[in-house]
Amino acid sequence: MVSASDPTQPQPVTIPLTQLQRGRKGRIALADDASPDSAMLRAMGLKPQAEVRICRLGQPCIVAVKNQCGGGCRIGLDRSIADRVMVCPAD
Amino acid sequence: MNEAAKPELAGRIALLGNPNVGKTTLFNRLSGSRHKTSNFPGTTQEAVLGRITVDGVEHQLVDLPGIYALNLDSSESSVCRAVLNGNLAPEGEAPAKPDTLVVVADSTNLLRNLALVAEAARFKLPTVVVLNMVDLARRRGIHADESRLSEILGCPVVAMSAKSGENVDSLSGAIAKATAPTAAVGDSEADAERWADETYSAIAAPAPEDIDDDHDALTDRLDRAFTHPVLGIIAFAAIMTGLFWVIFSLAAYPMDWIDAIFASLGGWVEATLPEGAVRDLLANGVVAGIGGTVIFLPQICLLFLLISLLESTGYLARAAFVIDRVMRPFGLSGHSFVPLLSSHACALPGIMACRAIPDRRDRLATILVAPFMSCSARIPVYVLLVVILFPESPTMQAVAFAGCYIIGALAGLLSALIARRSFLKGKSSGMALELPSYRAADLVLSLKTSAERGWVFLKKAGTVILAISILLWWLGAYPNVGPAPESEALRTQAAQVETVDPDRAEQLTAEADILDERYATQRSYLGRIGSTIQPVFAPLGYDRQLTIGVMASFAAREVFATTMAVQVAGTDEIEDEGVQNAIATAQRDDGTPVFTTATSWSLLIYYILAMQCLPTLVVTAREAGGAKWAFLQLGWMCGTAYLSAMIVYQTLRATGLG
Repeated sequence: MVSASDPTQPQPVTIPLTQLQRGRKGRIALADDASPDSAMLRAMGLKPQAEVRICRLGQPCIVAVKNQCGGGCRIGLDRSIADRVMVCPAD
Repeated sequence: MNEAAKPELAGRIALLGNPNVGKTTLFNRLSGSRHKTSNFPGTTQEAVLGRITVDGVEHQLVDLPGIYALNLDSSESSVCRAVLNGNLAPEGEAPAKPDTLVVVADSTNLLRNLALVAEAARFKLPTVVVLNMVDLARRRGIHADESRLSEILGCPVVAMSAKSGENVDSLSGAIAKATAPTAAVGDSEADAERWADETYSAIAAPAPEDIDDDHDALTDRLDRAFTHPVLGIIAFAAIMTGLFWVIFSLAAYPMDWIDAIFASLGGWVEATLPEGAVRDLLANGVVAGIGGTVIFLPQICLLFLLISLLESTGYLARAAFVIDRVMRPFGLSGHSFVPLLSSHACALPGIMACRAIPDRRDRLATILVAPFMSCSARIPVYVLLVVILFPESPTMQAVAFAGCYIIGALAGLLSALIARRSFLKGKSSGMALELPSYRAADLVLSLKTSAERGWVFLKKAGTVILAISILLWWLGAYPNVGPAPESEALRTQAAQVETVDPDRAEQLTAEADILDERYATQRSYLGRIGSTIQPVFAPLGYDRQLTIGVMASFAAREVFATTMAVQVAGTDEIEDEGVQNAIATAQRDDGTPVFTTATSWSLLIYYILAMQCLPTLVVTAREAGGAKWAFLQLGWMCGTAYLSAMIVYQTLRATGLG
């Protein structure tokens, strides 16, 4: 498991993606548990520090991955996968 | 065929990129209409080959499968790795490292695409990076400095729009100047990600605050509607109904033309050539065989055209999640839906569409059960039997007809469930799918896809179907036994009464023809095979004639009605009311009716469930990666069909209903 945050800083609260409210933003904290799934998610753009916004909760869960200078992509996730993606809620 | 052997092809250029970055659109723009589809040997991955002229010299252009990363444990990724390492080449080509690598990146999602650029840079091949969809990026206020990227990477970078054609012309100049990237990207995945992050910060211009909020809000709303548990299903049902309505209504016209063309071609052959085996072979074997194949072409082209159009709008990725919910209890996923739906037209394109299913076990289960879906070749048989079963009630005919489709689909889903609980055991991984931006449908790309699929079908399945038709014709036509013993007397009688009663003479000759035809059918190799195999089908209630019909259906199911017509009436004009009636009231050799209620139900069940299509088995073996899957499919489907038909027949007989 790889934590994205600096270990000298107090650990920010991380919650599963599915507990973020619709429309809220967060940063991916944990996207690596060495399963083939997570390697795929990481390659699709759900990597540590990536900024995401929840577009739809439930089955499927839809997240928009936002690049800092605009653009990005949308990813639809099975709820079971979304449950395992940890995020730090922004603001 | 072997393009590598042609001296004028100076080298190989490979196109690499994420899915949905417009790689195929670029490929089509560069290679024009000069392309062919083949496979990467030992894989189910498709290789599309084309040609491109750089500096006045023709090069080979290879479109690689779309991938998110080169290091993933997927068939697409390993194909790309092997090609870049020079260990793999499309079928018929010599493996060698590509002379130039063109990495296509999506300008609207540059950060993620740069990670793949970093991975590709490690191969140190002469490389060009394409920043595609710049027009779309510009509209969304996204800007990247391509000359800065070129400096960092140490290879040419071209910003363009493959869809609109903007700046595509400068690509061939860049390919001529391609150099191996000098950027040091490190060895690990984390290194590549870090390189991508740093490079992205260096080249991307900060976006104006929340530039694409309107666009996002609309996409959010559409996504929520299309993936909604209720609205999503309604939208999906409406779109699919429309799709199939278009396929069945529009395909009917070209199918009629093709039918008419081949009918007149056959007639022309019969009229032109002298009577004999050559004429029979050409008219009844070759022309009928090719006609029987080509007639499915309009359905296949239309199906792929419409699905490709839908896919290019971005809708299909959303629909996959709607259907995922329905399929999951049966151990299948949303990826299986389009293949299974397509199989209702014909299992061949359905099974070919399974290539898009990423999970191996999901893909195998879908390939195995796809032929349970009632294809259009079963329709003539359903119609014949349903009318025999309910001659007085059109309502019951319609209900039974719809029931056939439902039984087929249920049998397929239950079989998938059994497969996923036994030999294809394993948790089906949940779906994670990129949802591409909504776009206007791309007609050019879709037409091209449709033409390509049609060509693959004609080339590969066509040869097999043709060979089977010729074999079946031969088995049915030989040995040539001459006229039936009883017909001699009739003909003599006809000759005697010809002058006084021409009508009677004509009737007698027709009867003699029927006798001859029936005699020839019984004595043909096919007929003898039927008599030998009949005991196997006896528990299902089939006599020798039905057994021949069932056996002949193995080439193509619609042959059943024709075979029965030939056997009982000595004519293949089954459209005629009289002949339909003749089949319905046909008698066995012992004088009892062929089609009792129990026999008809048993036959109907058998045709819904049985695997009776050699071309499908050939395609299954190819797509699943081995003949064992085809044998499993054959055994499973025929076993289910046999047992179910036997239970139905024996139950109806025992209860006195049949």
